[in-house]
Formats: sequence, structure tokens, C-alpha cells
Amino acid sequence: MKGPKAVVGVYTFIDDALSAIELAKTSNLDYRVYSPVPHHELEEATLPGKSPVRFLTGAGAVMGCSAGFALAIWTSLDYPLRVSAKDVVSVPGFFVIGYECTILFGGIFTLLALLHFCRLPNILRKIGYDPRFSQDKFGVVIGCQTAMVDDLVARLRQTGADEIQVREGL
Amino acid sequence: MSHHQTQHQHTECTSCEDAHPSRFRGGIVPTEAKPLTYEEVNTTVLAMLEPPTYRWWLFLALCLAAVAIGGVSWTRQILNGMTEAGKSHPDMWGGYITTFVFWVGIAHSGTLISAVLYLFRAHFRMPIYRLAEAMTVFAVLTAGLFPLIHLGRVWYFYWLMPYPNERAIWPNFRSPLLWDVFAVSTYLTISSTFFIIGLIPDIAVARDAAKTKFRKILYGITSLGWSGSHPQWKHYTAAYLFFAALATPLVVSVHSVVSWDFAMSIVPGWHATIFPPYFVAGAIFSGIAMVITIMVPLRKIFGLERILEPKHFDAMCKLILLTSGILTYSYGVEFYTAWFSNNEFERAQFWFRPFGEVGAAFWGMTFCNCIFPQLLWIKKLRTNIPFVFCVTILINIGMWLERFNIIVQSLSHEYIPYSWGWYNFSWVDIGIVIGSFGWFGMWMTLFVKFFPAVAITEIKEILPAPRRVAQGGNH
Repeated sequence: MKGPKAVVGVYTFIDDALSAIELAKTSNLDYRVYSPVPHHELEEATLPGKSPVRFLTGAGAVMGCSAGFALAIWTSLDYPLRVSAKDVVSVPGFFVIGYECTILFGGIFTLLALLHFCRLPNILRKIGYDPRFSQDKFGVVIGCQTAMVDDLVARLRQTGADEIQVREGL
Repeated sequence: MSHHQTQHQHTECTSCEDAHPSRFRGGIVPTEAKPLTYEEVNTTVLAMLEPPTYRWWLFLALCLAAVAIGGVSWTRQILNGMTEAGKSHPDMWGGYITTFVFWVGIAHSGTLISAVLYLFRAHFRMPIYRLAEAMTVFAVLTAGLFPLIHLGRVWYFYWLMPYPNERAIWPNFRSPLLWDVFAVSTYLTISSTFFIIGLIPDIAVARDAAKTKFRKILYGITSLGWSGSHPQWKHYTAAYLFFAALATPLVVSVHSVVSWDFAMSIVPGWHATIFPPYFVAGAIFSGIAMVITIMVPLRKIFGLERILEPKHFDAMCKLILLTSGILTYSYGVEFYTAWFSNNEFERAQFWFRPFGEVGAAFWGMTFCNCIFPQLLWIKKLRTNIPFVFCVTILINIGMWLERFNIIVQSLSHEYIPYSWGWYNFSWVDIGIVIGSFGWFGMWMTLFVKFFPAVAITEIKEILPAPRRVAQGGNH
């Protein structure tokens, strides 16, 4: 978060939090929003558009499918043994392996994408976080220069914040 | 407090309702006289994590005793060999594979409830799905033990995995048994990941409300530092959707692959194309029954009446009715195809099941799975929770008997009368089955006391977000 100070607005109501986001955007200030639940209005106000997670899920699924078929085909050719008059490379039987590996790799890649894009694990570094933000409050944290703090506090108060805190930013 | 602030959290958000009508169908909000608030959801669910009572310790002790019985039995089998398990020709699959299929079936509905119903936006799943997912993961963990126990020489289990070895041979990828290894291990991996991902925001709630140092550390680490920031929610909801989409095909594939363990063979009673849908329907049927069996006592013990309402049981009973119908049809089709095929071995098998030495297993299965659940057509009974509990207990029994009929009865009565035989239960076999219930119960008991067993965040999601101004104002 840009700016040496972080002004934290604690909100009970989502519409007030949305006003604070609008304020940060119009003032061209860096901000972060904390909420106890995901909400489509918050998402539209902060990060509209699609998450890139889907590209990694797709890449993992394609890789898994290829790896599953490749494993079954290569091992069959490596030790060619005809079973029950089937071809050594009997593709219908390998569909199950390909199918399962598609899902397995797709899932693993989705997990890695989630950890990467959500910056997890991140146990110690949460700028402006307050434990109430996971319970029933919304938080809007705005980074700013030291000289702007008083003005920003006053403007956040107008948006209906229950409480405003000034903390060190990064 | 200003006039505006007196408008509490549940000021109706009409545009949300218009935009997402399905969100409110079957959800918590509209039918409640006094809907829950975010705070009430927190306190109700987190109260489950309070220090355990003597009843919890008693139940855990019972489970551990059962695990000990299973452990002693398995040790005895390892020391003395498979004869301890009562296996003899022709019933070499016996009770272990019966119980394996039973547990895989139980594991099935967790993913149905968590992933499939998520994609369909069926909001009655919200208070239920966490328990169903936990049940899935612990049931797969239990099921996975049985092929290992059944191997006899369990220390060679890794031979099933494709790895370069000094013998220069590979597992047979055309074998349904190897497909099963891939299907079950993929299912375990994906369902565990889906379960853990769903838990992270709720563990963060528990972390921020934790009172003891032990809990603060436990939840601090296991929540991975989740903060609920807007980029996190953005990517989290996307990833969760993809997990649901990836897990959904597994609902169909896992038990289809398990059914191929049987259907790919030529044993009379097994070699049937109806097996995959028949097994999938049966698995969903038994899994939902087990979810209810677990939910009913938990609801009572932890005071979850406002979260787990009769309408949730009503919705699940409708799924039971649907799957019971599919199952009854499948049982009928099996008999019909045996008769219509004019294959004397098939006909003999399907005569043997109801009228053979253990016909009681067939009639018990029919009563528990086909006849008794039909009472759920009566709405009054669907919302009568003690009655529903009894139905689900009978279904659990009936579904174990179904697998017994498929596996033991079929193997006992194959082609040549000379090789007909019977399976003799031994104490080791029974001890291991008891141990599996203890193992499953132990994980469930520990889970409900240490982690949120009801999805806090998702229940909050179906509540209208708190607003200062009613919809149409500055929204």
C-alpha cells in the first residue's frame, strides 16, 4: 500500500464502505477493502473483470490430461504385454487415467493459483487489518502521505465510518 | 445512533433479490420471522468450538475404543494372515470390499452437496455442506484403508503406483482396479483441497474470536493469514468456482469407476451396463442419509436449530426420495435383464439373492432402501426430524446390505455349482468394520470441536448485506 500512513475506516454498512471506496478512487489513492463476506458490489467497485485463476486451472487440466495419457501409453510401450486380446496401447482403457489426471492437475494448479494470487500464506503482514473485519464489519484502508491524514479522516467520517484509525502504512 | 443507523442489517435489498432470485429460494432469509445477523451466525457457530463437555469426551472415548478394536484385529490379521478374515474360496472379496464400497458411497454426497449444489445455486446446502464435506473426506480416508487391509501384505501397497522400479514393470492401466486407485486418490485429493479451501475464511473468523493462546496459534497458522481483502475474495471466489466445476465430474466418475471393478468382470450379477448410474445413485442416496444421521445429533447438541431448520431436512429428504426411486428402478432392471437375457447363470443369481441362504439380506435391503423411504412423500414426516433420523439409520443399514448382496452373494453363486461357497464372518473381520466406524467417528468428533462445522461465511453470504439506506437509496 502506497503512502507512509494508512487511514482505516471501520464500517457497519456496506453502502458506507462503498462510499469510502469511491472517495479513495476519486482521490486517486491506494486502498484495500476488508469484508467478512464476498459481495458483488464490492467486487465491482474494486476489481471488476475476471480473475486470472482460470488460466492456471485450464493449463493444469490440459497438462494433466496429456500426462495421464502419456503415462499410460508410455508404460504400456515400455513393457509391451498384450492382455485379453486388447491392443498394447488400448486407448479406451486409458481414458479413465487421462480423465482423472485432468481433474487432479486442474485442482492442484487451481490451488497453486489461489495461493499465489491471494498471497497466502501471509500470517504476519496485514496492513490496517482489524479482527472485526472477519466478523461483522467492513474495513476500508487508504494509504496516504502524512500531510493528508487529517483531511482524509474528516472525509472518511463523512462517509459514515463507525471508527477511524490512523496507522503506519508501507 | 442516528435515525438511519436504526435501519438494521436486514433491510431488504430488493435489487439483490431481483438479480439473484435463486439466492433467496430455500435460503434462510425470507421465511424467517427474525432472520439471523452476522454476529448471531458467528456466535452460534463458534459456540461449537467451546471447551468440550463430558458427552464429547465420552463419544470420543467410544470411537477410540472402536479404533482400538479395529487396530487389534488388523494386527492379528497381519501376524497370522488372511485366514483370520474368514475369507475362503469363492468369497475372496467378502466383508472388506463390501465395507470399502459402503464408505466410498458415503463419501459421495459431500461433493454432491458442496460442489454440484453450489453450481446450481441451491442455497439450502449452505448450513449443511461443511459437515457433508468433512464426512466426505473422513469417509474416503476410511474407505482407503480397506483395499490396504484387503491386500494382506499391506507394506506392498505402493506396488499399485506407477514408479520406475528394478523389476522394469508397470501397473496394468487397462485394469479397473488400477483405475480405482487413480479415481479414489484423485477424489481424496480434490475433495480434501476443496474442503480445506472452504474452511480458510471461517478459520480466520475463529482466529479473530479465539480466546486461548492454543486456539490463536492453531487458527493463526491454519487460516494461512487470511484477511478477507478485496483481491483475496476476488481470486478466492473464482478458484472456489473452478474447484466446484472440477469436483462435479468426480461425483459421477468415482463411483462409476468403483462400479467397473465389478461390471468389467463376467461374474453373474456384476456384468451389467447399468452399474455406473446405479452405483452413483446409490452412493448419493447413502451419503445424504449419512449426512442427516450426523446432522441430527449435532443440531441438538450444539443448539443449531436456527441454522439447520426443518426445511433443510425437507430438501434433503426430497433428494433421498429421488435417489431411492432411481435405486428401486435399478434393482428392478437387474432382475428384468436377468430374466430377459435368458442367461441361466444370471437367472440363477437373481433367484439366489432373494431366496438363497441369506435372502434376509436382500429383503432387508429392499425394505430399507425402497419401501420405508417412500413414507417421505408425506411432508409432515419429511419435517419430523426424529422420524427422518430413523429413516436414515435404516438407509445406512440397507446400503451396507446392498453392497453385501452385490459382492458376497454374487461371488458365492457363480457358474459351477461345485465351486459355490459361502463367506464366513470372523471376529477379525467384524472388528475391522467396527474399527472403521470408530475411525470415521473419531475424525468427525475432533473436527466439530476444533473447526467450524457449519460454513460461517457462506451463511452470511445469503443474508442481505447490512445497509444504512434501504435499497433504492445510495445503493
